[in-house]
Amino acid sequence: MAPSNPLANWEKVGDSFYRKITVYDAVFDDEVELENYIVAGAPYGGTIALYRDETKPVRLRDSQSRSNIDIYSYSGKLINRIHWEQATIRGLGWSDKEELLVVAEDGTVRRYFGLDGEFTSFSLGNGAEEYGVRACQFWASGLVALLSNNQLIAVSKYDEPRPKLLAPCPEGEVSSWALISPTHTLSRSVEVLLAVDKTVFLIDSTDAEDKILQDGPFKHVGVSPTGRFIALYTSEGKLWVVSNDFQNKLCEYDSKARVPPSSVNWCGDEAVVLAWEDEIHLVGPSGAASKYYYDGRVHVIPEFDGVHLLTNDSCEFLHKVDGTTEEIFRLGASSPSSVLLDSVEQMEKKSPKADENIQRIRSSLPAAVDTCIKAAGHEFDSYWQKRLLKAASFGKSVLELYNSDEFVEMTEKLRVISAVRDYKIGIPISYAQYLRLTPEGLVERLTNRHEYLLAIRVSEYLQIPADKIYVHWASQKVRVSTVDDEAVCKLIVQRLEGKPGISFEMIAQTAYDEGRSHLATRLLNHEPRAGKQVPLLLNMEEDELALDKAIESGDDDLVNFVLLHLKSKIPLASFFRMINTRPMASALVEATARDEDMELLKDLYYQDDRPLDGSNALLVEALAADQVQQKIEKLQLASRLLSDSKDPTVVLQQKLISEASHLLKAQEALDKDLADRTEFLGLSLNETIYRLIRAGYGKRAQKMQGEFRMPEKTYWWLRLRALVAKRDWGELEELNKNKKSPIGWEPFYNEVLGAGNTKLASLFVPKCTNLSVAERIEMWVKCGMIVKAGEEAHKAKDLNTLELLRNKASGPAATEIERMINQLRPRK
Amino acid sequence: MAPVGDADHCRDKARRELLALLEGTRGKKNLVLSQELAGPVGLFVKFSVLQEYGVDRVFLLENANIDSSQRNVVFLVRGEKARQVRTVAEQIKRLQNNGNVEHEFSIIFAPRRTLVSNTVLEEAGIIGDVNIFEFPLLFLPLEQDILSLELDDAFEDLYLHKDPGCIFHAAKALMGIQQRHGYFPRIVGKGDHARRLADLLLRMRKELDAEESSGLADPSTRGLLPSADIENLIIIDREVDFGTPLLTQLTYEGLIDEYVGIKNNQADVDTSVVGQAPMPHAQESSKSPQQAKPGMKRKIQLDASDQLFNQLRDANFAIVGDILNKVARRLENEYETRHSAKTTNELRDFVNKLPSYQLEHQSLRVHTNLAEEIMRLTRSETFRKILEVQQSNAAGADTTYQHETIEELIARDVPIKSVLRLLCLESCMAGGLRPRDLENFKRQVVQAYGHQHLLTFWALEKMELLQPRSSATTMLLPTSGTQAGTKTNYGYLRKNLRLVIEEVSEKDPNDISYVYSGFAPLSVRLVQCVIQKPYILSLIKGNSPTATSNNASAASPGWLGFEDVVKSARGSTFNIVQKGDDKAVRARQTLSGNAGTKTVYVFFLGGITFTEIAALRFIAAQEAPRRKLIICTTGIISGDRMMNAALAHGSFASPE
Repeated sequence: MAPSNPLANWEKVGDSFYRKITVYDAVFDDEVELENYIVAGAPYGGTIALYRDETKPVRLRDSQSRSNIDIYSYSGKLINRIHWEQATIRGLGWSDKEELLVVAEDGTVRRYFGLDGEFTSFSLGNGAEEYGVRACQFWASGLVALLSNNQLIAVSKYDEPRPKLLAPCPEGEVSSWALISPTHTLSRSVEVLLAVDKTVFLIDSTDAEDKILQDGPFKHVGVSPTGRFIALYTSEGKLWVVSNDFQNKLCEYDSKARVPPSSVNWCGDEAVVLAWEDEIHLVGPSGAASKYYYDGRVHVIPEFDGVHLLTNDSCEFLHKVDGTTEEIFRLGASSPSSVLLDSVEQMEKKSPKADENIQRIRSSLPAAVDTCIKAAGHEFDSYWQKRLLKAASFGKSVLELYNSDEFVEMTEKLRVISAVRDYKIGIPISYAQYLRLTPEGLVERLTNRHEYLLAIRVSEYLQIPADKIYVHWASQKVRVSTVDDEAVCKLIVQRLEGKPGISFEMIAQTAYDEGRSHLATRLLNHEPRAGKQVPLLLNMEEDELALDKAIESGDDDLVNFVLLHLKSKIPLASFFRMINTRPMASALVEATARDEDMELLKDLYYQDDRPLDGSNALLVEALAADQVQQKIEKLQLASRLLSDSKDPTVVLQQKLISEASHLLKAQEALDKDLADRTEFLGLSLNETIYRLIRAGYGKRAQKMQGEFRMPEKTYWWLRLRALVAKRDWGELEELNKNKKSPIGWEPFYNEVLGAGNTKLASLFVPKCTNLSVAERIEMWVKCGMIVKAGEEAHKAKDLNTLELLRNKASGPAATEIERMINQLRPRK
Repeated sequence: MAPVGDADHCRDKARRELLALLEGTRGKKNLVLSQELAGPVGLFVKFSVLQEYGVDRVFLLENANIDSSQRNVVFLVRGEKARQVRTVAEQIKRLQNNGNVEHEFSIIFAPRRTLVSNTVLEEAGIIGDVNIFEFPLLFLPLEQDILSLELDDAFEDLYLHKDPGCIFHAAKALMGIQQRHGYFPRIVGKGDHARRLADLLLRMRKELDAEESSGLADPSTRGLLPSADIENLIIIDREVDFGTPLLTQLTYEGLIDEYVGIKNNQADVDTSVVGQAPMPHAQESSKSPQQAKPGMKRKIQLDASDQLFNQLRDANFAIVGDILNKVARRLENEYETRHSAKTTNELRDFVNKLPSYQLEHQSLRVHTNLAEEIMRLTRSETFRKILEVQQSNAAGADTTYQHETIEELIARDVPIKSVLRLLCLESCMAGGLRPRDLENFKRQVVQAYGHQHLLTFWALEKMELLQPRSSATTMLLPTSGTQAGTKTNYGYLRKNLRLVIEEVSEKDPNDISYVYSGFAPLSVRLVQCVIQKPYILSLIKGNSPTATSNNASAASPGWLGFEDVVKSARGSTFNIVQKGDDKAVRARQTLSGNAGTKTVYVFFLGGITFTEIAALRFIAAQEAPRRKLIICTTGIISGDRMMNAALAHGSFASPE
C-alpha cells in the first residue's frame, strides 16, 4: 500500500498547523439521516448516542423510531438501542466513564451504565418538575441543568447524586450558556457562564457575577478545554476569544455569516470550530481561519485535544498537529529528527548518506530519537508509525547509552491503540486521549462492548487486572444463557477457576436480578469473601445464612447491619431464637439494646430465662428514674424477679436490692424530719451515717447502724471520721474513755493528729498498747511531747533513743530528758 | 529495611489524609469532633495546621454547641458508634431547622463508613443532605515504638459486652502493617481473643489474595510475601493476664497514669502542682484570665520529645528522685560554663545552646513538682496499705489475712476503684474469692459506696475479674499446671516462670520485674518465652539471671519449649506460620540478603499498661542490635480504667 503523504490535510491556521484525518468512512447507512438527529459522543472516542431531533419533521414510516436512543460506535456499529418513553429529552450527555445521561423535561435523570441498557435514575428536584428543564450541559463527572425559569441545578457526582441549586440568576432571556468544570474553577465546584440579554453572568453556588459586557446577546458561549479561554459568538456574527476573567479580548473573527452557527466548539486549547449545517470554520489564535465544506450535515463532537467530525459517510478527527510531528514533516524541515527519518530511507537505499546524516546530527541525536518516538505516538497511520519507530530504533542503535524504556512503552501503547482503532471495534482514540483514559479505562470500555477477547488480550499484554472482564463475561453468560442453572454454574466455575480476584458475589447478584435465585446461591458458594455475600443473601431472604456469613467475616458492622435488618423484619420470638445460638450476635444485640431499647433487652432476658440480668436491667432503670417513688417501684420489681431462686448469690442479690429500697425509704424519712431539702436521699449507707454523725444526730446514726446491720468496725471508722470532720473534740474525748475500740486506737491518733489537734491525739497514745515502744515514741514526738516520749524510752531503758530525743528537745523538756538519761546511765 | 518507621508512616498518612479531606470542603468551616477522637487527632496534627486548612473553630460533639457561624460544618466521628452518628444526625437537623444559614454538611467517618451509620442517617432522613467521607484512621503512633488504636472502649467492649468490634479494627490495622512490610512470617499468641484476631488476619489475607487481581501475570509478582525483616507477631490477650494491670504501676510514667491519668500522651495536671503553662499563646482562643486558679488544669505533653521525661518514664519511681537530682546538678554546671566562656566562639556556643537549656530547665521544674506530688501520695498510709495487700497477692501469700485491711480501706472511704482492684486482684491471682468472703465484701462495698454497685459487681463477674471460687477452680495449685485453663493459674506460673524476683534492683535492673518492684508482668514473661528462651530457662533453673546470656534463639521458634507452662495460662495457645510461595521467597532472600535487624511486633489486645511497655522496652534494649520491638495495642489501660469499664454510673440520688 502506498504510504499516504504525511502532510495530507495539513492546514495552516495562523502560526500552527491543523490536520484533519479521516478515521473511518462509510459510517452510517443512508437510512440514518444524521441531519435529523441530536448527537452526543462520549469522551475519548467513546460511543455516540443518537436521538431523533423532535423539532425536525418526521417521516411517517420513521415515526416508531422516534422514541429510541441509539448508541453507535464511531465506526457506525449499532451497539444498543434504548427505548425511551418518558418525557421529552432535554439533555443527552456522557460521563468520563462512558455512562449515558439522559435528562428529561420533567427533571428525571437516567444514568445508563455499561452500555447494556441498565440504568439508575434520580430526579433533579428543586423545582425542575414545576418549571421544566430547558437544557443540559455535562462535564466528566457531573451535569448542570438549566430550567425554564433560568434556575440552574448542578449534580456533581452520579453514584450519590445530590442535585444542588446554584445561585439564583437574574431575569432575562438566556441566549446561550456553558459550564466550567470543577477542575478549572477556583471554587473547585462547577461554575456556569450564562449569556443573559446583553451580558454574561458567572454563576457559582453562592453568587451570580455580572461580567458587564455590552455586545450581547451572545449566541454561543464556549469554554476551552483547560478553562483558560472563553469563546463568545456575538449577534453580529463575530467570534471573540477572551481570557477567562473577561479582562482581555485575545482575538476576534468575523464569520460574515448571517445565521449563527449551529455549534461553537473548542478544538484543543487554541482554536475554535464554528459549525453550520455543512460548513466548518476553524479559527486560530490570531483570528486566522480555515474553512471546510461538506455535502451533508456535519456534527461536531468535541474532545479535549481536537474535535471529531461526523457525517453520514465519514468520521474525521480534526486536531492541531503536534510540535514533534511538525518538526519532522513540515515542508523543508531540517531538524535533527527529520534528518534521522531521512537517513532510514537512505539506509534502505543502501546509500552512504545514511551515515553522513547521522554524523551530521550526532550531537543532537538523543533528542532526535525522542522526537521520533513521540511523533510516532501522534501518528494515525501505521505506516508512518513504523517509519518513525524505525528511525528511532536506528538512531538509538548508534548511541552508546540510551534508555529504551520510552521506546518500548510507545510500541506497546501503539499496539493497543491500533487494535482498538480498528473499525470492528471503533474507538478512534488519540494518543493523548489514551493517556488520559488510562489502560484500565480502555479495558473497561472494551468489556462494556463485550469485546472480551480483545480486553483480555490487552490486559495480558499490559499486565493489568483482568478479573472484571471475567466477571462481566460471566454475568453476561448468566443473563443470556438459556440452559439450566447447574450447567451455567458449572460452565462459569470451570472457566474462572484459579483466576484470582473474581467477585462471584457480583455474578450471583446478576443471577438474582435475573430471577435465578437458585443459581445465585450456587454461585455465592464460590465467593471467598464472606462479607461480600451478606447484602445479597439478605436480599434473597436467606436470613440465617446471611447472619452466619456476617459473623464469619468478623466484621461487627456487618453483623449489626444484618441484626438491624432482621429485627425489623421477623417476629421478635424468632429473632431471639435466631441469635440465641450465636454468641457474637446476641452480645451485639445486648450492647445496642442497652443504649437504645431497654424493653427489648428485658424481653430478651425474659425469653432467655436470665432473671439476674433482667433484674439488673430494672436496676439500671431505677437509677435512671426521676422520682423516688419510681425508683422504689423499679427496685421492688427487680427484687421480685429474683424471689424464686435458691441460688445463694441470687438470694444475696435480692436481699441487697430490697435493702436499697429500704434505704431510700429511710432516707426519705430523714429528709423529711431533719432537712427541708433532699440531703440524704440517694447517698450510700456509710455516707448517710457519716453525715448524720457530722450533723450531730448520733442517735439516729446508731439506729440506722442497727437497722441495716452495719459491722461495728465500719461504724466506728465512720464515727471517727465524722467527728474529726466536725471537729467535735469533746465527743472524741468521750470515746477515749471506752475501754476497747474494735478498730484499735491508732486510727484515732492518726486522724486526730491529721486534723491538727496534738493534745487530743496524745491522749490516744497510751491506749495503743499493741504497738512497739519505738512506734509509740514516734507518736509522742509527732505530738510534740518529747518528755512523754522520753518517759516511754526510759521505761524501756533505751538510752540511744533518749540521746536522740535530747537533740530535739529544748527548754525544760531538755533538762527533763537529761535527767532521765542520767538516771539510766550506769553510775560510775 | 523500611526507610520510614511505622510510627512516622502512620502519623504522616493520617495527617495527609485528614488534611486532604478537610481541603475537600472549600472555604472556612467549623469542625465538630467526637470526644474520643479529639485526643487522637491531636497526636498527628496541630490546631494551627487545621486552621491553615480552613478550620475556623473546633467543637466537641458531646457539647452539642455547634452554631451557625460558618456555612460549612464538618463532623469527624467514629462510624462504628451508632450513638455518635445519631447525635450527629440530631445536630444536623437542629442546624437545618434553625434556618437562617443554609449549611453545607460533611461527615467524615473514622475509620470507615459503616452500613449501620448509613441506616441511621437514612432513618434521620438526611443522608441526601450530607457529603460523606471515610478517614481510615487505624494505628496512631504514641511513640516510635508504640502504635495504638486509641480505642477507649476496647476493654469494656471486649470483655464486658463481648463485642468483638475492636478485634476487627485491630485486624484491619495489622493488615495495614502487613501490606507495608509483607506477611508476618509467624503469628504466635495466647488467649481466645488473640486467636480470633489471628484467624481474622488469616481470613483477611485470603480475601486480599482473592481481591488481588493481577490478571494472568507472572504469579511471583502477585500477592504479598512473608516479610523479610519481620520476625513474628506476638498477640497477647489481656484476658490472659488480668492480674498485672490491677497492681499499682510503679514506674514513673505508670504512677503518673495512676494518679493523674495520661491520655493520648497528655496529662491534665493541676496548676497548683506544676504551675501555669509558660506560653500563654498556647491558649489564645480561650482567653482565660492568667492567674493560677486552683483546680485549673494544665496539659503536660508526655512523650519522647521531652528528653528528661524520656529518661524518667520507664524508671522505677524509687530512683526518679536521684535522676532528677543528677540532671539538676548537670544543668547547673552547664549553665555555669557561661562564666568560664572566654572566647567569643565559646560564648556563641553557649548562647546557641541557651534555648535548649531553658527547655530542659522547664521540663525539670515540671517533673520535679510532679514527682514531689506523687511522692506525697505514695507516702500516705492508705497507699502503703494498698501496696502491702497487692504485694502479698502478687507473691502468692495467703491473702485472707489481708481482708481486714481491705475492710478498713472500705470504711475509710478510699476511692472505690482502689478497693475493687484489690478484690479483683485477689480473685484473679487465687482463682476467685471464697463465696462467703465475696458476699461479705459485696455487702460492705454496696453499703459504703451505694447500692448501684450491685451492677458493678455483676459487670466484674461477667468480665471474670471478680468471681466466687467455684469447685472447678478451687484447686489452682502451684503444682498442677497442665489443665488447659479457662483461668490463668498464677500459682503455677509464678513458680515456673519466676514471676516474683525479690532481689531485683530498682536502680540497675536486671529483670523486668523491676517495674513492679519484684513482680514480673506475666504478659511480658510470655513474650519472653517466645523471644528470650535461654534467659527464661536460666531463670527457672535458678542460675543467676544473666541478661546477656542468650544466643540467637531462632532455632526454637514459637512457644517451643514452653508449651506446657503456657498451657496453664488462660485461653488458646497458637503458633501459625504464614508461608508464601517458596520460590519467590528464596528469590527475594538472595536479592536482599538476610537483613540484620528483625522486627518483632507485640500486640496487646485489650490494652497495655505503661509498666508493661517499660518492661518490653527493657527487653528491647537487651535485644537491641538483633531485634527491634514494636508494641501495638488497642489502647493504654490501667487498673482504674479496667474498673471504669465495670463501674455503674449514676446513683440513687435524684437528678438536680
